[in-house]
Amino acid sequence: MTTASDPPHDLAQLLARVALQDRAAFEEVYRATSARLLGMAVGIVIRRDRAEDVLQETFMNIWYGAAGYNPAIASPMTWLINIVRNKAIDKLRKGKAERASTVELDDTAFNVAGDPASQPQHLLEDSLLRARINACMGELGGAQRQAIALAYYRGMVHTEIAEVLSAPLGTVKAWVRRGVDKLRGCLEAAGVHSA
Amino acid sequence: MNYLLPERLDRLAREYALGTLHGGARRRFERVLREQPASMRALGAWQEHFAALAAAVPPLAPSAAVWNGLEQRLFTPVRRREGLVARLMALLSGRALGGALGGVLVGALLCVLLLRQQPAWLGHETYRDTLPASYVGLLQDGAGRPTLLASSRRHGRTLTVKLLQNVAVPAGSVAQLWALPRDGAAPFPVGAVPVTGSATLTLADTSEKLFANVGRLAVSIEPAPAAPGARPSGEFVLSGHCVKLW
Repeated sequence: MTTASDPPHDLAQLLARVALQDRAAFEEVYRATSARLLGMAVGIVIRRDRAEDVLQETFMNIWYGAAGYNPAIASPMTWLINIVRNKAIDKLRKGKAERASTVELDDTAFNVAGDPASQPQHLLEDSLLRARINACMGELGGAQRQAIALAYYRGMVHTEIAEVLSAPLGTVKAWVRRGVDKLRGCLEAAGVHSA
Repeated sequence: MNYLLPERLDRLAREYALGTLHGGARRRFERVLREQPASMRALGAWQEHFAALAAAVPPLAPSAAVWNGLEQRLFTPVRRREGLVARLMALLSGRALGGALGGVLVGALLCVLLLRQQPAWLGHETYRDTLPASYVGLLQDGAGRPTLLASSRRHGRTLTVKLLQNVAVPAGSVAQLWALPRDGAAPFPVGAVPVTGSATLTLADTSEKLFANVGRLAVSIEPAPAAPGARPSGEFVLSGHCVKLW
């Protein structure tokens, strides 16, 4: 049984204290998790200033919404990652029309698709857990892996992935669906659990 | 659509967790999540699977501005405002007026006092001795804390809202303001309000036409701003009396 590089804090207990508006606990949660959450946000909204806005909104939600955290449904880190991803995805999709940095996003996405060295999963560090995740991602076909990475790490929807990978929409949907099922089986078999 | 068919639920939960569910479908599924525990469990399982992928993301230390901003937004201004409001409430309800005068009167007087201190909230930059005829509402949260101040000139077509403390709204949802007629007729939507700060909403008609027979204002959390004729989908998180200020 492995857990992702977790901070040594008992996050569930800290969140319970945050729910009681304990500011010290809130600061501990922030110190323990903000760097990982900002990493997630930057992957999706790309620009650091936007990602920091997302991070701040995320922690506003955590302060007001910690009472809604249910340990029976998700681990604390999963709950936090879910908040930051949803906020980043919202910001990405809301800002898409007005955004001047579309080119920047496309460039990044094309790099992900075209250059194996810059695929997000290449960024895995050399730890046992990351090696296992990497191995599971590696078991997928290249197209499946890219499609999942673009969706999870970049917040893209099927049509965007189809455009980036120059593949028909139906094919992309099948890659994602089968890839995700295969990935789930592999991660479960490897005993990889979220943080 | 029956969201509870296991295969459909699993597919929607997977796409929501991955992020590929988008637009209206994403908002509709968020409503299902609030209402159906089974959907939340399906989503939780997928989120756990995908969260393993998050371990691959390199951490990035945020700048000090993020924490400083949080402290300022969450603690400094709110505490000061709550202190002011609490003192006024105590003064009004406890000492000056006695316990009998709670609710509407305290709320309305509080509004007058706050508005006289902050005339710019109503668009009056210069001090005036009397306030214009207006409709005002002071909405409280479940714990009775004053949370939202709404005001509109009697014959105006805009409504100014000011948040006295932040409102928690899940990502992808909005805080929707409703007017509740005195005669028990169904609530009608006024507009979506911000969760912090202040905003000016454009009304469908003049305040007099809309609010003359309205006894209360309330806020619910909705997946999207309510269209005319829509009804609240859940319970109210804020509510308070709507009073005439003349």
